[in-house]
Amino acid sequence: MGTLATLVRKDLRRRLVDPSKLLMNLAIPLVMAGMMALAFGGRGDNQRTPVLHLVVVNQDEGPIGRALGNAQQNPEAAGRMEIRQAKSRGEGLTMLREEEAAALILIPKDFSADLLDGKDVELEVVKNPAASIMPVIAQQGVEVAALYISIGARLLDGRGPRIAELFEGKGWDDPQAIAALVTELYDKVRGIDAFLIPPLIEVKTGEREAGKEADKNRPNFMIWMFPGVMIMGLLFTANTQMRDLLREGEIGTLRRQLTAPLGAVKVLIAKIVSVAVVVAIATVLLLLVGRWAFGVGWGPILPLAAASAVIVLAATGFAALVFSLVRTERQGDAFGGVLVMLMSLLGGTFFPPQVVPSWMQGISRLTLTYWSHGVLRDLAAGGGWEKIQGELSILLIIGLTLTLAGVLALRRRHLRGAL
Amino acid sequence: MTTTPQESREVALRVADIRYAYGKTVAVDGVSFDVRPGEIFGLLGPNGAGKTTTISIVSGILPPASGQALIFGQDASGGSGRARARMGVVPQDIALYEELSAAENLRFWGRLYGLSGGALEDAVRRALDLVGLADRAQARVKTYSGGLKRRLNLAAGLVHNPDLLLLDEPTVGIDPQARLRILDVVRDQARSGRAVLYTSHYLEEAEQICGRLAIIDHGRVLAAGTVAELRRLVGEGPVVRIRGAIDGDGLKALAARCPGVSFLSADGDSASFAARDPDACSGLVRELFRSGLKLDDLRVQEPNLQSVFLKLTGRELRD
Repeated sequence: MGTLATLVRKDLRRRLVDPSKLLMNLAIPLVMAGMMALAFGGRGDNQRTPVLHLVVVNQDEGPIGRALGNAQQNPEAAGRMEIRQAKSRGEGLTMLREEEAAALILIPKDFSADLLDGKDVELEVVKNPAASIMPVIAQQGVEVAALYISIGARLLDGRGPRIAELFEGKGWDDPQAIAALVTELYDKVRGIDAFLIPPLIEVKTGEREAGKEADKNRPNFMIWMFPGVMIMGLLFTANTQMRDLLREGEIGTLRRQLTAPLGAVKVLIAKIVSVAVVVAIATVLLLLVGRWAFGVGWGPILPLAAASAVIVLAATGFAALVFSLVRTERQGDAFGGVLVMLMSLLGGTFFPPQVVPSWMQGISRLTLTYWSHGVLRDLAAGGGWEKIQGELSILLIIGLTLTLAGVLALRRRHLRGAL
Repeated sequence: MTTTPQESREVALRVADIRYAYGKTVAVDGVSFDVRPGEIFGLLGPNGAGKTTTISIVSGILPPASGQALIFGQDASGGSGRARARMGVVPQDIALYEELSAAENLRFWGRLYGLSGGALEDAVRRALDLVGLADRAQARVKTYSGGLKRRLNLAAGLVHNPDLLLLDEPTVGIDPQARLRILDVVRDQARSGRAVLYTSHYLEEAEQICGRLAIIDHGRVLAAGTVAELRRLVGEGPVVRIRGAIDGDGLKALAARCPGVSFLSADGDSASFAARDPDACSGLVRELFRSGLKLDDLRVQEPNLQSVFLKLTGRELRD
């Protein structure tokens, strides 16, 4: 235990002498988080809510198509979405490709007529993956709208054509017929009000000027974004620190340690522990910065401590495995960097994993980033033990497996004389 | 080769028929030798001869494919703590932490061998004094010159006062003054009873300090013994070296015509002959001039390790 502490202390002392690399590692996720906070409204105080840009191709000449296509005229939606009209699907896709919108919504021909006739209809949503989480918001919005319209269509139950006539300005000269229609609809609604009232979906409208209390209740985008960027930063930190193993191999100090009466496994474990200590320090710093600079609350201390420890283990094990597979520091930088970026993309650092195809979502679940994000985002959203224990268990298994594989691979390399 | 514990106790290091290969490349092929307390044993050979691999096996970094290395009777490759604790290794690389001071480096290496507290501080001070770096103990290693780093590299191998020192080319790339200082320290260590295994490709250096040595090439020991014994391999008489437009076969025939002369080697534009005595040497020189060869250089030298190496390998060991 004494020599293990000596080895770890030596590494920490060396890093303290020149902490610039560590500070650079920590600065990268903070700068990224800061830029994203600026771009997407960040913490919420005095920040603009992100605007949802949509392209609508309205091929329907009926009232429902017009209502959907002009949804931004709703006062509540006015400041939150911007809808641009396209004449055709092709033009809409071009606008999408030019990144003018987060999603394209296509309302097909005779949508209103078919719906009011009780036929099955479709709305097409084409998402733009480059627009972060906005396409998911658009998709969710369209699904909610479709649900409401479907409920409305079922309520009409064959009365659609009569209502369509009213929309076209016909039949208003028969007050008795209109009163009968309204009464029928009222009875229908009364019949199902036990299911609808209180409504399943409640939309609360707050006034921006309502003060700090209202701001507190606004969603903080950084709760979603910061954990992803933080994990990416921790993985880069672990890789940078683990480089030292090959550096020591290159300058000969590792071989010299291996001649001392310690045993190779102890030397390798000491190196992994020293990397874990630095990653743990980085984790604490990033959690504090997330809390104080970006307003991310991390929930109760014990679940957070356990989650942090498991994340440190997983990041360190990942770096140990990466550097057991490469020969030089530069190879480690390149290989590790590519893996971190891939895992960040797949694991949901920049956009939710749900936006990628289902086969890719399966791969996402194999990454440590996916589970790390899940744990931290759940904690940030107010979850406790119950919420995170499943994800944390999987992450612990991943972390232990990576660390064990890293130690064994490094030991094998040592026995081949390649360390 | 099998070794009884009784025999092993008489030597500090016994290397018995060790073999090692990096993939298909055989690096060490049946190397054997002993090193006794108070002795400097040299392992002499060109770069890539297998010296460092031998040191790595002896120091326990690499397990031999076969054979064994015993340190005071204990197997070095089994990770034996007691065997390793009695051994100090000075690698060819300057294996030091440049960010740390000389004293911090020595404290670290001392702790790995179980030193602590006052004993550690005393050991650090003694090691720094030994290599003449006491006045620069607090300076960071990155501010040191190449020669100072080499001296500190040696001190790091001595800090825990080992009984066996393994020195792998400890004077590579330094100025003559620093080299002399290091050689003096090595001699002092042997005088104080330590066994020293010293690898080098500097022939003069090995001749100066090694009591016995082995010449190694392509992973095999070609010859072993004292410097005098090795010199006798090429005879007591002078060695004649020529440089110019030469023909190896023609020179062999020429040597055969001269009584008391043997052909040693031909390598590129140079060749060497061993003469039994000064008369044989004169006869050879006369024959060389008579043959009409265009010679750029002709030297008559006392036999040394260079000529031994030439005789054994057919090529020069260049510094």
